[in-house]
Amino acid sequence: MDLTFTPAEEEFREELRSWLRAHIPDEWTRPGFWESLEDSESFRLRRDWERDKADAGFAGIQWPVEYGGRGGTPGMKAIYDEETVRARAPRTVNPLGLTFLAPTVMAIGTDAQKKEIIGPLLRNEVVWCQGFSEPGAGSDLAALSTKGVRDGDDFVVNGQKVWTTNAVHGDKIFTLVRTEAGSEKHRGISMLLIDMNQPGVTARPLRQMSGASEFGEVFFDDARVPVTDCLGEIGDGWRTAMLLLSFERGASGISQYTEFRRQYDEIAAVARKLGRADDPVIRDDLARVLTELECLRLHSMHVLTQVEQGRDLGFEASMTKLQWSEAFQDLWEVYDRILGEDATLDALTDGTDLRPLHAQAMWSRSVTIWGGSSQVQRNVTAERVLGLPR
Amino acid sequence: MFFALTSDQQEFGAAVRDYLAQRFDLAAVRTVVENPSDDGNPASLWRAAGEQGWTAVTVDEDHDGLGLGLVEAQVIARALGAGVAPGPWRGTVLAADAIRLAGSDEQKAAWLPKLAAGEAVGAFTTRGSAASGLPVVEYGALADVVVAPAEDGLPGLALVTGATASPVGSYDGTTRLASCSGGTVETLPGTTVELQRLLTDRATVLVAADLVGIAREALTRTVAYDRERTQFGVPVGSFQALKHALADLHVGVTMAEHAALYAAHAVDTGLADAELAVAVAKAKSSDVALQATAAMIQFHGGIGYTWEHEAHFFYKRAKRLAGQYGDVAVSRERIASLTVGA
Ligand SMILES: Cc1cc2nc3c(=O)[nH]c(=O)nc-3n(C[C@H](O)[C@H](O)[C@H](O)COP(=O)(O)OP(=O)(O)OC[C@H]3O[C@@H](n4cnc5c(N)ncnc54)[C@H](O)[C@@H]3O)c2cc1C
Repeated sequence: MDLTFTPAEEEFREELRSWLRAHIPDEWTRPGFWESLEDSESFRLRRDWERDKADAGFAGIQWPVEYGGRGGTPGMKAIYDEETVRARAPRTVNPLGLTFLAPTVMAIGTDAQKKEIIGPLLRNEVVWCQGFSEPGAGSDLAALSTKGVRDGDDFVVNGQKVWTTNAVHGDKIFTLVRTEAGSEKHRGISMLLIDMNQPGVTARPLRQMSGASEFGEVFFDDARVPVTDCLGEIGDGWRTAMLLLSFERGASGISQYTEFRRQYDEIAAVARKLGRADDPVIRDDLARVLTELECLRLHSMHVLTQVEQGRDLGFEASMTKLQWSEAFQDLWEVYDRILGEDATLDALTDGTDLRPLHAQAMWSRSVTIWGGSSQVQRNVTAERVLGLPR
Repeated sequence: MFFALTSDQQEFGAAVRDYLAQRFDLAAVRTVVENPSDDGNPASLWRAAGEQGWTAVTVDEDHDGLGLGLVEAQVIARALGAGVAPGPWRGTVLAADAIRLAGSDEQKAAWLPKLAAGEAVGAFTTRGSAASGLPVVEYGALADVVVAPAEDGLPGLALVTGATASPVGSYDGTTRLASCSGGTVETLPGTTVELQRLLTDRATVLVAADLVGIAREALTRTVAYDRERTQFGVPVGSFQALKHALADLHVGVTMAEHAALYAAHAVDTGLADAELAVAVAKAKSSDVALQATAAMIQFHGGIGYTWEHEAHFFYKRAKRLAGQYGDVAVSRERIASLTVGA
């Protein structure tokens, strides 16, 4: 057992910390600051910040140096995740591009794709969307029906995507498109990289239960995509998608723990302030959640250990997803119980603005749906990890 | 960063599990359960505990021990829990810990080599006191030496030898309990309040690890059964109601494994969050062991409710241990006091 990081990793932590201290304005860390901004204003600030961060050498921590990354260890990435959350750095504008697309391109992209995609991603100049889900294809992704028909050197794409995060602010979208007429299920799909700023692509915001519009729907109406913008083999998009989704596995639990633990402490403070901290039921609720959060931290350390040893985590990612999403959701239900009959008010009588907390509580309803719903993760765990029959 | 068992530690656990699988399986456990008037410590198993170093694990090398930590001890505890193995292993290790950490040189010389070799049986309790009597002691009738609070409500630990023991009944047939009174009482001169806390934490971690072993084995056996058992023409394990429950249990048991491992390390090395880690480990392992053993009965159907089936060994042992050193509610209250405040 050795829970420490290497000296080089700790040095990196210090370097990152002081950079973050110097570059995150106090105002940004004020509770509710980001929620109070217009979407586009928030987007602009975050984009600029990420460019500066990249210029300072704090982007692509684990990416190879040849792609402009830092060539860091998994431990450095974990430290990066922890420190940025701790410093209350803004959330990335490009989660899908950075987490999923970039490593996939590095693994199987053509030289031209590597050149064109990775550099701009590092500086967040191009914001990527993930166009997988369709109105008729959610958990059953292979039921998708968006079509791409070959026309010379292009595919002509028609169809609709939905729940697309960043649909309105996105520049490009990696999509799954049926490029083989009459094909079924996993066959005949290609992963196309489509420019969203072209005639034939329309993005419309969808309003979420939180009131925000982080996601939207995307319509393809004779949108044109050069065949060279297919990632992976034509017709082999399912395999590309599986590779892409496998990059979800990693040490991401560390940043989630750091963030949720802070939220836990904030919620405990609300309980104390409202005189609810000595209610044995509330105490039991909070302690149950804290137990799960601590388990998340330890599980993340275990995952990090395995990653550092070069082990393939396989379907264990489903376990991580279940652990964090269910614990997070439970945390915000406890928050509601602490507020009791005031749970829906915008502010407490002393003026404390509850809306930033409510935003988290609403968001918690989504985390067990996206990225594979909890039900789907349980199926995966039961069938692939425990070996129960399909 | 290395948060996992080393291969040596894994082998330690595997050796205990292999021994139990080959030489002391559930049929052997049944013999113990069905003969409650026996001392509950089969000679062959106890000899193995001594010979294979299970009892020597945390005793220092100067006193013929292996000088290993609580991390290794919890590996053994987990394996013994998985085998629902009877015998005074935990009490012996904890008594040796107390003597090692708080005993005089004479006490150490007198007891540690014998406890390490399994030649003497130790017991450990935090209930009652040497002065007023010890109401429930695991293997109290078998123990050559019992470590217990010296006086009610006051700090201090005592060694009790030659006490009068009378059996205390329990539906957990994998363990024998007795109340103890009288005997010769010696104080452990090095006892401090912190040390007493530390020993209770060590005991709690070993109980948590036993619960984790129980939970994992209950789940594994249930999954194996539900893959084979058919109803409606298909294996019952293909029904989503079972799958989802078993998947949740797998996540829960895995988290409890991490929690017990971390708690052992935190206590061993005196990490700042050791107290929280112990409470988390106990809360999680108690919770998940109760769930997994109840699920073992439920997902075996009628057969799971029979005396012939082994599910009740796991269920009943989980029931007893889940309440020890703080049940789920008590452990959570400790977590709340550490993170929410009074
Ligand atoms: C905030 C948010 C952001 C998102 N961002 C993106 C994005 O950027 N790109 C993108 O492509 N998609 C995105 N999604 C879509 C997300 O991936 C889908 O919502 C998800 O896959 C579920 O599909 P669905 O909504 O069609 O629900 P359905 O699949 O219709 O599910 C309905 C219910 O049935 C359950 N269910 C479905 N199948 C099974 C099964 N086999 N066994 C048991 N229960 C089952 C589900 O758990 C759910 O409870 C986002 C969703 C949200 C909420």
